[in-house]
Amino acid sequence: MILTLSRRKKIITAAIAVFAFAILALELYPIFITLLNGFRRDIVILSGQDFNLKQLTLRSYEMVMANKGFIKALFNSMLVALLSTGVSVGVGSMAAYGISRFRFRGRNALAYSFLVFRMLPQMSLVVALYLMFRGIGIRDTIFGITLAHSSFNVPYVIWMLIPFFVAVDKAYEEAAMVDGCNRWMIFRLVFLPLAAPGLVVAAVFAFINSWNEFLYALILTGVNARTAPIAISSMIGGDTLTWGQMCAASTVMLTPVFIFTLAMQKFLIRGVSAGGVKG
Amino acid sequence: MKSSRRQATKPSGVVALQRAGGRGSPVPFLLPALLIVFAVLIFPILFSFVVSLFDWPLSAGGGERSFVGLGNYSELFRDPGFWNSLLLQLGFIFIAIPLELVLGLGAALLLNREFRGGRVIRALMLLPVFFLPVVSGMTWRFMLQPRYGALNNLLVNIGLPEITWLANAGTAYAAIIMQDIWRMWPFVFMLLYAGLAGIPTELLEAAEIDGANFSKRLFKIILPLLYPTILTALLLRIIDALRIFSEVYVMTEGGPGMATTLFSLYTHRIAFGHMKVGLSSAMAIFLLIISIVFAITLVRKNMSLEQLEERGGGQ
Repeated sequence: MILTLSRRKKIITAAIAVFAFAILALELYPIFITLLNGFRRDIVILSGQDFNLKQLTLRSYEMVMANKGFIKALFNSMLVALLSTGVSVGVGSMAAYGISRFRFRGRNALAYSFLVFRMLPQMSLVVALYLMFRGIGIRDTIFGITLAHSSFNVPYVIWMLIPFFVAVDKAYEEAAMVDGCNRWMIFRLVFLPLAAPGLVVAAVFAFINSWNEFLYALILTGVNARTAPIAISSMIGGDTLTWGQMCAASTVMLTPVFIFTLAMQKFLIRGVSAGGVKG
Repeated sequence: MKSSRRQATKPSGVVALQRAGGRGSPVPFLLPALLIVFAVLIFPILFSFVVSLFDWPLSAGGGERSFVGLGNYSELFRDPGFWNSLLLQLGFIFIAIPLELVLGLGAALLLNREFRGGRVIRALMLLPVFFLPVVSGMTWRFMLQPRYGALNNLLVNIGLPEITWLANAGTAYAAIIMQDIWRMWPFVFMLLYAGLAGIPTELLEAAEIDGANFSKRLFKIILPLLYPTILTALLLRIIDALRIFSEVYVMTEGGPGMATTLFSLYTHRIAFGHMKVGLSSAMAIFLLIISIVFAITLVRKNMSLEQLEERGGGQ
């Protein structure tokens, strides 16, 4: 009786595992298609040929790498993502420290408003940003788009960091205080090294936020500061159906995102809950 | 050794903290973030509101601006395009999100047990969530193409006629919803899975021994205990769905016609297609208010600072 019960349970578990893998395969199919078609020629894709191994080629990657517009956009993306990550982790870690280590009036309200700020629709801001940036001449500059990306990354980083910061033991700071350090020295020399894991997590998510961002880049950049998501979207349109190149370029963009996603397993849920990863 | 030192220093440390202004001013730490937030969040919102009170054409020289008070708002509410986009947006929310919740809950219940490869599946399941929105939109656009798109190949292979998905109003709308479900249901799944893991197994086992069947356990134990998590997922998804833009923009640009001009897409179209910045700002403010209501509900209900502080680092 006991034997058959445990056997039944085993069979059910096995069936569920198979079913789960089937769902996973279905779920990953569009990603698989993107990765695969980066290695096929446009003409092969457009003629709707069935797949065979002989089609595999690096031709699309070569063309993407030779595409100066895309390479520039990729470089811009990297620059903007790094700069906005740097700014938001720098500024955000200070603010998160202020919120988690001081008791002051309006502390809760301030913390909440940062979270609410992160959830505002970008569309509500972008028209005003467009007019402002055009007015002071920073539209289509790296500075401008970095600033725009900081608008969602600063609140995001603050909210990601607070739980990490709260968990850091106060004893070290108190000891440093006894040794005569001021608040600023404590923050930089004692606190930040202790909170380093949190900083890494926040930085990775801030980087992905900026790397994936589309709407601000669409409205606030032009030929100079265009980022890679815009370049990818402009690869298809009208009569240019270079799906192979689009997929190759997408794969280049997806690589760091997927590496981070798999490396950051533990923090993914919190990362998305703190305000999404949407562009 | 370490603990004894800590004990020795702690009292005098606290005194020193207080003497050095431990309860002192957080302003220097908060100021840089507040400045940035003011410059690129608060000021644009205020500016949006000001612009929404003007008839403000988008042109390089500035154009003729005239104060119209709340005129843009009344124009907006008389604009059939606005109501169309509101309807499409609501439809999107009411179709996509319940399906995502049902799929997510079903998968979470099913996979709420240990088996080989379970961790790998959960890890890989989240890849679509982090897929670049623009690439997700492009990939779906690609799969939906006639002649060479994967989805149409599938239809032809099982003997059905091809569909020109993105050229017909109904199927294009279905396509943007499918895209969103594909992308976001794993996120709902992961949230609910984490919530389920928090329900003590003894509770469920006890109910099973007492003879409660699955549906009884689901409705009497699991769903009530999971309710806060479900609510969080629902609110997060609504807030997210309210601002969806890039995926739909690269898939259809809001077309064919106005068939997929969701709220953000219509705002974009008024501003940069019709060149009416004032009117689009009125719409932006409208969207902003709705989003803030949902965001505040979410934050107050499920994301208190105290909760975060209790939870500490780690997860």
